[in-house]
Amino acid sequence: MKHFDDQFTEIQADQFGRASAALLSQSAQSLPAGIKDRLHAARMKALSAKKAEKVLAQKPVFAGISGNWNSGSNGLWDTVGWMAPLVVLVFGLIGIAQWQDDSRINDIAEVDAALLSDGVPPDAYADSGFLAFLKNGPLSDSGDSATDSVQSK
Amino acid sequence: MASAQELSDFLSSVEKRAFKQAVYAVRDEDAALDVVQDAMIKLAEKYGDRPAAELPLIFTRILQNRIHDWFRRQKVRNAWVTLFSNMGKKTDENDDFDPLESLSAPDDSQIHQDGAQKLEQSQLLQALESEIAKLPVRQREAFLMRYWDELSITETAKAMSCSEGSVKTHCSRATQTLAKALKLKGITL
Repeated sequence: MKHFDDQFTEIQADQFGRASAALLSQSAQSLPAGIKDRLHAARMKALSAKKAEKVLAQKPVFAGISGNWNSGSNGLWDTVGWMAPLVVLVFGLIGIAQWQDDSRINDIAEVDAALLSDGVPPDAYADSGFLAFLKNGPLSDSGDSATDSVQSK
Repeated sequence: MASAQELSDFLSSVEKRAFKQAVYAVRDEDAALDVVQDAMIKLAEKYGDRPAAELPLIFTRILQNRIHDWFRRQKVRNAWVTLFSNMGKKTDENDDFDPLESLSAPDDSQIHQDGAQKLEQSQLLQALESEIAKLPVRQREAFLMRYWDELSITETAKAMSCSEGSVKTHCSRATQTLAKALKLKGITL
């Protein structure tokens, strides 16, 4: 017995397919009016969705390209909107760094002025004996002067 | 880039075919209409700016994906319905419900309009559509895309995300099954 598959060549299959498609197309054209109306409504809804998308998509594209203020105002304000905080931040950081430098210089200047205006030469502060004198000297001096004042009475 | 008019013309040319294809798959007219509407909206929203020549393939692919999504949702819904119907089985008061009462008779009013020829063609169509609906999903998709949507083998393979060899196999099996089934009913195309 010859199998059915063997009898059905590729050309016959194509012919059968096309004939079926022609029949199906006929059936699709004779849909009930209610279905046709609903399909029409669905198509209108889809087309309105496309228009809404198009309007939203075009705005930023044209705003960036054109030099016109009216069409480009959104893009410009958007740019300003994110640039302004950045600029403020950068200038703020520069200001803080400058202020720290100034205060450090002022501190050093105050120390230098105190050293230079003092009667003791600056080299004395490098001497360990003088430092020991500064540490113990004033206390012993004040103690001696107190005993002297008691004895004189 | 397809203009609004081109998109409208394209949708108008494919909407009925898409509806029938969806009906063959989901076997419910309302669900098929929802599927077609979703597919059309997605095409317009996401691919409305593509060239008009690309629209048929994109739409076919979207439609197939929407049909698959519908089956996935049905599967989830059926799982919940089964669960709840089993839970409420003891208190079910609709035991005398007859499903035959809710079945509507097929609308065959057109059959008797134009005599014997119309009747014959209508019966032929009914038989063909019923056999197409019985085909396995992949075979039906390949058959309809290849012959009804007139996509090439390469385009069909792309739309179905499979190899060209698979498309040929699906088409061949579908045509053989259909021809055999129609022959048994005494119909030859």
